[in-house]
Amino acid sequence: MSEVENKEGPAEEEQKDYVQDGRNKYVVKCKFCGSKMLDKKSGKYMEAEKELPLMRQDNNRKEGEIQSETIKEFYHVENMYTFENIGFTHTVANHKYLSCADCDAGPVGYYDMDTKHSYVAISRIVHS
Amino acid sequence: MAKTYDYLFKLLLIGDSGVGKTSILFRFSEDAFNISFISTIGIDFKIRTIDLDGKKVKLQIWDTAGQERFRTITTAYYRGSMGIMLVYDVTNEKSFENIKNWIRNIEENASADVEKMILGNKCDLDSKRQVSKERGEQLAIEYQIKFVETSAKDSLNVEYAFYTLARDIKAKMEKKQEASNPPGGRSGAHQLKANEPQRKPTSWLSRCSVL
Ligand SMILES: Nc1nc2c(ncn2[C@@H]2O[C@H](COP(=O)(O)OP(=O)(O)OP(=O)(O)O)[C@@H](O)[C@H]2O)c(=O)[nH]1
Ligand SMILES: [Mg+2]
Ligand SMILES: [Zn+2]
Repeated sequence: MSEVENKEGPAEEEQKDYVQDGRNKYVVKCKFCGSKMLDKKSGKYMEAEKELPLMRQDNNRKEGEIQSETIKEFYHVENMYTFENIGFTHTVANHKYLSCADCDAGPVGYYDMDTKHSYVAISRIVHS
Repeated sequence: MAKTYDYLFKLLLIGDSGVGKTSILFRFSEDAFNISFISTIGIDFKIRTIDLDGKKVKLQIWDTAGQERFRTITTAYYRGSMGIMLVYDVTNEKSFENIKNWIRNIEENASADVEKMILGNKCDLDSKRQVSKERGEQLAIEYQIKFVETSAKDSLNVEYAFYTLARDIKAKMEKKQEASNPPGGRSGAHQLKANEPQRKPTSWLSRCSVL
């Protein structure tokens, strides 16, 4: 997951109905169990391309292989205590992955050990 | 950004290997998904937000690895933690006996006013039980620590235990604040609330008993 240019500005987000003033307009919840992860307006909308491991890894995948996909939209959370409920995995290559604190589904994003900032993958959560 | 919570408590799960510390923190059930990426890496800690008497309390709950025996655990390990869950396995006599060693280790290495609670886990496995609930209660009385039997498997009493520990830490902090900062007439009502006697855990205790 290398750094790419981040766009944090009002330019394109206006079309996103879940973004308001550059932040999440709605509460962020777990897709599977509805556990509340972020309160309204507590994450900054951000566009960046990052690889994130798939939630479900195929049983037939090659040994040691990690299947992942590119995520393009995130909520940026600077302080981990901003989260309502969230799990942090053990560290893997300078990251911790974020997971649901109630059903352990994930990764729903990642935490950067250097900056201590968290990034929630918008495609892996639901708004409510 | 302004702080959006009233308290932040760091809690630690401690106990012999295999007693169920990770299971208490990690509730994933294998049949819910195929293969979970998260379960292969494991959870380091969780952040949970709870409401205690109108206060927003953040809990940061850390798992610890069981192979780090109490003999090797030192001050650095406990740094910053305000509450410790001492976990044993009701089907494992040795893990129960070791609670005393864990307590001694905490007394030697952790901050003196850290709150503690004893959990007798796996109380769903009644046929394999080696430690009666009464012995757990007796130990808790001896050390003046709260006690409850839990089942991580059935999610029994786990949430209750964390609420109880958090409530005790909060009460202790408020007491300290009052001592260093005697209240004026202004906060009379609030004070009453903070000093309210805690609900007795009897009903919870009786839910996981020897049949
Ligand atoms: N029946 C039952 N089994 C449990 C319970 N809690 C944990 N187990 C099982 O006990 C075993 C050990 O649990 P862990 O959570 O890995 O124990 P641990 O304390 O984290 O062990 P270490 O990481 O080695 O310190 C696992 O097979 C769990 O499935 C419970 O409440 N009931
Ligand atoms: Mg463990
Ligand atoms: Zn969930």
